[in-house]
Amino acid sequence: MGRFQIIERIVIVRVFRDLMWFFKAHQRQYIAGIFYLIIVSLISLVPPALVGMVVNRLTRHAMTVGFLVLMLALIAAVALLSYGLRYLWRIRLYGGSILLATELRDRLYRHFTQLSPEFYHHHRIGDLMAHATNDVNAVQETAGDGVFMMVDAVVSGAVLIATMALSISWKLTVISLLPLPIMAFVISRYGRMLHDRFMVAQEAFSDINDRVQEYISGVRVVRAFGQEAWERQNFVELSRDVVSKNVAVAKIDSLFDPTISVIIGVSYFLSLAVGALFVVHGRMNLGSLTTFTLYLGQLIWPMMAFGFLFNVVERGSASYDRIQTLLNIQPTVVDAPNALVGVPSGDIQFQIPAFQYPESERHVLERIALTVPTGSTLGIVGRTGAGKTTLMRLLLREFDIDEGDITIGGTSIYQMRLHALRQALAYAPQDDFLFSMTIRENIAFQKPDASMDAVEEVARIASIHDDILRFPDGYDTVVGERGATLSGGQKQRISIARALLADAEILLLDDTLSAVDARTEAAILSALKNNRDRRTTLVATHRLSAVEHADQIIVLEHGRIVERGTHAELIALGDRYYDMYQRQQLEALVEQGGQVG
Amino acid sequence: MSIESLESQGALVSRGTFWRLMRYMMPHKLRLALALLLLGAATATDVLQPILIKVFLDRYLIPRHFPEQRLIDLGAAYLLLVLLTAAFNVVQLLLFQMLALDIIQRLRVDLFDKVQQLALSFFDQTPVGVLVSRITNDTEAILDMFMTVLSTFVQNITILVGVMVAMFALNVRLALYCLVLVPVIGAVMWMYQKVSSPLFHTARQRLSLLNAKLNESLQGMSIIQAMRQEPRLRQEFGELNESYRKVRYRNTQVNGILLRPLTEVIYLGALMLVLAYFGGESFSRAVNIGVLYAFVSYLSRFFEPINNMLQRLNSFQQAMVSASRVFQILDNPSRRPMAEGEGEPVITRGEVRFEDVSFSYDGTEEVLKHISFTAKPGQTVALVGHTGSGKSSTINLLMRFYPVVKGRITIDGVDLRQYSDDELRSKMGLVLQDPFLFVGDVTSNIRLGDQHISDDSVRQAAEFVQADQFIDRLAGGYHAPIGERGATLSTGQRQLISFARTMAHDPVILVLDEATASVDTETEDAIQAVLQKMRHGRTTIAIAHRLSTIQDADLILVLHHGEVVERGTHQELLSKKGLYHKMYLLQQGGLQDSAS
Repeated sequence: MGRFQIIERIVIVRVFRDLMWFFKAHQRQYIAGIFYLIIVSLISLVPPALVGMVVNRLTRHAMTVGFLVLMLALIAAVALLSYGLRYLWRIRLYGGSILLATELRDRLYRHFTQLSPEFYHHHRIGDLMAHATNDVNAVQETAGDGVFMMVDAVVSGAVLIATMALSISWKLTVISLLPLPIMAFVISRYGRMLHDRFMVAQEAFSDINDRVQEYISGVRVVRAFGQEAWERQNFVELSRDVVSKNVAVAKIDSLFDPTISVIIGVSYFLSLAVGALFVVHGRMNLGSLTTFTLYLGQLIWPMMAFGFLFNVVERGSASYDRIQTLLNIQPTVVDAPNALVGVPSGDIQFQIPAFQYPESERHVLERIALTVPTGSTLGIVGRTGAGKTTLMRLLLREFDIDEGDITIGGTSIYQMRLHALRQALAYAPQDDFLFSMTIRENIAFQKPDASMDAVEEVARIASIHDDILRFPDGYDTVVGERGATLSGGQKQRISIARALLADAEILLLDDTLSAVDARTEAAILSALKNNRDRRTTLVATHRLSAVEHADQIIVLEHGRIVERGTHAELIALGDRYYDMYQRQQLEALVEQGGQVG
Repeated sequence: MSIESLESQGALVSRGTFWRLMRYMMPHKLRLALALLLLGAATATDVLQPILIKVFLDRYLIPRHFPEQRLIDLGAAYLLLVLLTAAFNVVQLLLFQMLALDIIQRLRVDLFDKVQQLALSFFDQTPVGVLVSRITNDTEAILDMFMTVLSTFVQNITILVGVMVAMFALNVRLALYCLVLVPVIGAVMWMYQKVSSPLFHTARQRLSLLNAKLNESLQGMSIIQAMRQEPRLRQEFGELNESYRKVRYRNTQVNGILLRPLTEVIYLGALMLVLAYFGGESFSRAVNIGVLYAFVSYLSRFFEPINNMLQRLNSFQQAMVSASRVFQILDNPSRRPMAEGEGEPVITRGEVRFEDVSFSYDGTEEVLKHISFTAKPGQTVALVGHTGSGKSSTINLLMRFYPVVKGRITIDGVDLRQYSDDELRSKMGLVLQDPFLFVGDVTSNIRLGDQHISDDSVRQAAEFVQADQFIDRLAGGYHAPIGERGATLSTGQRQLISFARTMAHDPVILVLDEATASVDTETEDAIQAVLQKMRHGRTTIAIAHRLSTIQDADLILVLHHGEVVERGTHQELLSKKGLYHKMYLLQQGGLQDSAS
């Protein structure tokens, strides 16, 4: 048990040391809170003493009205004073812990916004969410209840024991306290067992969760093969498992309170039996004995707090470590020292001998040498996985290349501030992600203060204005979760409008017209052409009609440029581009039921 | 993570919800009675303890009268009471918790059974996450309530009643005075409930907003960064975070005003009452110190249960919201199509006939219009057409996933509606477009739940579809573990396993929903060869994307917007030079670019 406690104490010291920055920043609040808490535990000593005095007077048949009124008035005063102080320490300490949680969440969020896409490849959103919720909660508990329990266990415990020992009888104190350390130990022990078993139960719960998830996703298969009975049996077994593991938790849980009540009962028994002996021998009066048992009752909580403290702090410490680990991860894409502040402008040049994603063996791009003159349109075509999106992501510096360079207006993009570079780029990504805000806010995502006229103008260019007006609240319609209430084509067009509003020199359309029908596509493309005078546009697409009028088209295959030229040149070449073109013509025909053409 | 945000669209909590939940306790009447009995016993032995101390004080200590044997008996009785109380409590606490767990188990299985009975259209309309959350998270919240009601409320109220009874036994007048506490505490509870429950809800709402914001930001981080909106979103998050902090702070304030600090004041008030009573008594007659002691010690027991109950009020409300959502599903009227009519027809030959079948999912827009065709035993009928032409709907009806309302489908001349589920499922083999594999191993995925299929049959089925070679190469062979959705296997391998699954069930009618996902040519050829083999001797209804695979079909139906626009054999259709012909040309044009 000795070593056990030393280890525990180290955990407590460590987590409070880790959190010292916060306690220091809110020194006054914490000092005040702890001060009030100490005062409360001191004045809590008064009522039992008063009760003892009343009992003594009563046994001596010496009660007077004046004395009784005085006693009652004193208790009333203590009641009011401690009410105020209890309120105040709660506000200070718990208020502080809430502030800590708020600050940690802010830090995590800030950090998340700084991390590069690579980070998001390695971490599941669910896990990140768990850090920002469960772990932050555990730390909050440590800074609130943990501090309270520690102060209360140490201060109240010490003050009570000292008072009992000094003002009543140290012998009786020692004897009646004998069972209490066992209580702290038992609580800490049970607490740990509870926690462990609870974790196991949680796992069983998450198993059944996964299973139900799978069942519902595969419900057609289940029905097609008539597997209902088996699935049911499976579910019943899993839910029984959940029950049995929760029963294991319940077993400890049910032992908890009764065990403590036995220990307290023994403690009372000892104090009364031995106390009675003292009274008989005249070493103590009955009033003191009453006071003593009342103090003993007050001592139960600090002792329990002592037990709980270990577990709260242990959990908080583990959570704080996880949060710190996350906060210590550095972003991979960062501003170079002395990076240029100016927004770049001019021809874009790609010189990429080879690029592969971190921790990937395969080259996604190879031998890319490409110049896009200012004001021209580049079409990028090729199959899924050919490297179209990668090219755009590199320009956006979502990832950095190890060899070669990308320049805008002759300046390497790696010499520019990230924000300056991205200010020159308007991006409509392939994953047409919209936020759950109003359509207007989505379009004005990059320019929240854009005028309604400006928003409508880009919406018109993107051929989405009329659609928006048909929505129940027009531009104020809130987009459902991940834009669920909008069709794919509508989302794409909003995403284009969003990019257009940025009014940047370079526009990147990453297959953003795939879900739009041919006529709308043509309308958008011609509107774009009129609008984007002297601006550069990069269009990656599956559909060749989107790049027919581009100044330059490249065909990517396995990360290499296999054909390049204008539409007419590539058709004349009669190779890959030509084949794709023929095929898509026919496809369009079939889509229309073979009627046209 | 989206579950939180769906909280707002929760069902209305009605008064009936609570009683309906309580009805789940009915089957456990005996255990409940036993648990209540033990609780009563524990409470009795508990409240007896101060009375023993009172006896000790009044009879022996104050008169200084110490008969040794009596005192030992008294001490032993006291310790015995302490131990008995603990023992009763351990058992009753465990009983109550197990009861709650069993009730939730029942509720979960009921819910699962209900979900099994729901029509597929329900699954189309309800996101997977929501449904999962109903079966697991919501029932967990209800479990919380049963624990709260049974463990906290019943327990604490019993203790309170026990303490009151003991007080009355000791001194009726003083006990009557103490009754004042009941309305006072009731008022505090009422007030706390009134003030804290809106705060609690606001806090929950703001937390879910906060989490939704975080979740969404994490999902859209690349866009936020590309559009340089990090500072703005940080600020927005900061504001939400701060508004959440404020409501939590308010919560702490309310708790500080109305919870423990206040009950402590009430406790001291009660203490004053007791002291005033005995002080007043002492002026007219001698006071019984033992009774005073017992009252003081009862008072300290009185307030812990009240603190416990106050803290549990909010989770109780949350559980009611969850319960009403669960009942909403249990009361959902939609039902999957089931066997109708008398008799138990059996599928033997496998003749499939569609007679003027029209169908609509939503009751307004028809996705199938007047479809009629016949597949004679052993024949292959292929459905081709563009996305949304009605191919999948045709299969959905044939599999009886959705009810046929207009027109009629017959198998072997008997209306589809008359077949039992078992008969349909055992004689019709569906091969889905996207082969869905379950977590488990290769064998369990081929056999599924059908324990009649022996390991040998599993092996034979795998050999039949030529999946045995790659299965043998897997680490663990037929017992190689398969992860979520079979992510460890290639598309082609997943397809072969799903073929083997169908063959292991040896169906009379084969329903093929050909995969659109592209696999390399070699695998593709292998798969086609296997399909050819599978179709042999079986009536086959096939959705085909690659026209090359159905050139030998006995009948090809070309669907467009839910109508059959062309029908005939491959040769006949080609010579028509219509839609089918164009589709054929398209595919001849370049299979190499089928990825899009």
